[in-house]
Amino acid sequence: MWSLKKSPWVFHVNTGACNNCDIEIVNCLTPKFDVERFGIKLVGSPRHADALLVTGVVTAQAAPRLREVYRQTSKPCVVFATGACACDKGIFATGYHVVGPVDKIIREIDPTAIIVYVPGCPPKPEAIISGVVQALSVL
Amino acid sequence: MNQEELNNKLEEIRDKLTAIEQPVDNRIYLSCEAGNSYAVNKFLFEDVPLRFVIATGVDSDDCFEVLYHYAYDQIGCMVTLKAFIRDRENPAIESIAPFLPAAEWIEREIHDVLGIDFRNHPDMRRLILSDDWPEGVYPLRKDAKMPAERPDGESSSRPMVQSQSPARRTVKLSKPVLPVGPFHPLQEEMEFFQLSVDGEIVTDIDMRISYNHRGIEKISESLQFDQVPFLVSRICGICSASHPLAYVNAVEEIAGITPPDRAQYVRTIIAELERIHSHILWVGLAGHFIGYDTVFMWAWKYREPVLDLLEEITGNRNNYGNVKVGGCREDIPDELKPKIAKELDEIEKKMEMLTKAVLDDPILHARLKGVGVLSKEDAIRYAVTGPTARGSGVAIDVRRDDPYAAYGDLDWNVIGQLEGDVFAKAVVRLLETFESIKMVKEALDKLPKGPVAVEVKEIPPGEGCGHAEAPRGETFHYVRSDGGNRPVRHKVRAPSYVNVPSFRASCIGQHIADVTITLAAVDPCYSCTERLAVVDSHGNVAHDYDALLKLSREKTERIRKEML
Repeated sequence: MWSLKKSPWVFHVNTGACNNCDIEIVNCLTPKFDVERFGIKLVGSPRHADALLVTGVVTAQAAPRLREVYRQTSKPCVVFATGACACDKGIFATGYHVVGPVDKIIREIDPTAIIVYVPGCPPKPEAIISGVVQALSVL
Repeated sequence: MNQEELNNKLEEIRDKLTAIEQPVDNRIYLSCEAGNSYAVNKFLFEDVPLRFVIATGVDSDDCFEVLYHYAYDQIGCMVTLKAFIRDRENPAIESIAPFLPAAEWIEREIHDVLGIDFRNHPDMRRLILSDDWPEGVYPLRKDAKMPAERPDGESSSRPMVQSQSPARRTVKLSKPVLPVGPFHPLQEEMEFFQLSVDGEIVTDIDMRISYNHRGIEKISESLQFDQVPFLVSRICGICSASHPLAYVNAVEEIAGITPPDRAQYVRTIIAELERIHSHILWVGLAGHFIGYDTVFMWAWKYREPVLDLLEEITGNRNNYGNVKVGGCREDIPDELKPKIAKELDEIEKKMEMLTKAVLDDPILHARLKGVGVLSKEDAIRYAVTGPTARGSGVAIDVRRDDPYAAYGDLDWNVIGQLEGDVFAKAVVRLLETFESIKMVKEALDKLPKGPVAVEVKEIPPGEGCGHAEAPRGETFHYVRSDGGNRPVRHKVRAPSYVNVPSFRASCIGQHIADVTITLAAVDPCYSCTERLAVVDSHGNVAHDYDALLKLSREKTERIRKEML
């Protein structure tokens, strides 16, 4: 676990989000918040990732892809369910094409997965950073 | 052509129609039987000519209706053709996609969600529902029985190239096929692209959407009229002012409500602030794609103050939730006005610097001019909107053509370019940012006194078309009410829905290195996370996102060296 605590590399997975959480995640990386100062970095492949930043409700079409992405990460891998949709499907809970939330899909293939919930619609960059900090401090 | 001449023109096909209604100014509803729809559509698109907006499939009690929405932008008139399909057992209608490529996607979608067959459609594959959605379940039918447990549980690890089943794949594998996605930077709809390539040149492009399909139109039918704005503002996080605006325009049209003047101005200010931060976001991402990360970081830094202003006005950085039927939920406090004006001055100065840096850069001229050209003819055939259309010489803008909110009172210009390439679209967006800043300032000065909402008791039976100019183009909402407290049908068309299919016109013939920026140029609400992969025909990852980005950046670098 100690390897996760310093400069975690994250892979960002959109599973049917409205783009707001995703833009706020990028906001975390750009000059105002700039988490790259702490070595937190978005990477281009799940195989390089210590953590998944998952946004969105998990649509029927995205669910198999989310499982596949999680399977490809090296374990242990922390899953950040970012935003109200990822935590509990939010306003889209009754949608016919929605099979989430994120924790349900991830636990289907890994019941012991570490899942961190960052609520908010969208969570402010401060909230996302605070979620990451809290998670890293209890791991 | 004015309204009267348009009406006379429509009289020419009177014999094929069963009714012509005009419930309010600028909204014409034509009715016909399914058998005549092809001829009437062809007349509307080619002879009048009107701009195709979208089609809506409706499950009425005793029949199916397909509504074809058109716009006549010179006078801001919306013309809706209702085609009635009486056969409920085997509903079918003639496809209009052969002469109107813009209708190809929506006909596939209507087939998916309502089970209406479109005869002679060139490509009737599944579009909006997932690969494993059971055949014969049509979610937008009123009697649809949704599968209680979604049968998506198969746990095979499928390589990405098989995301589309072989039967659905049109491109033959004799030529290399480069799948792009589904996790890739154009992430608004998580599209999946398959590029056929001949060496470095793209010869065909195929798209698969559905990854982001949340079934919002169906959810909307279960919400009350006053709850729907919260839902539609979450269709797209960065158009979260435009969607509710288009929706309330439609509902206010049904109910004949005119919101107070102050509400109109508040709506305008929020919508324009959104456009400012959205366009700046695009400039940053475009810079990122061609290797100018400094532009990326600067631009994203400069949009932060706009988000802070929006947070002060509405309480949230995005998803403002400020628009409601009959007005606005929150007012802009007068003491905030000087602060907004001051911040806008700052942003304007920084944007002037950024615009100069971008538009005067000879390398950017060399890199972006002539790349990803969408000709005016293609822009009309694909019915694109927003900066994508305005960059191609099609000067349409809902704010001017069919003014809503306070746009009719303000002094501003529609920005247009003729070239249709990536550079033209960049120029349009950069210059529009200044127009928006000007508009917000003027609206703040003119902000009338008074309440920001009127009380709305009931929404009568009827139907309404509302549209608004989102940062990416025209957002269209069609709402039908039966007099209850929920919409019986709510159709949404986001601008990317028509802009994205135009890739077929702008990407073919391009180099692979130019594809990322060409796809990005229509701004399909992407964010810049690295999730794009190019796979060769055996399913092996040949180029991942980094490699594609590198290709794009190497080309910029090569041009830079050649110019020195």
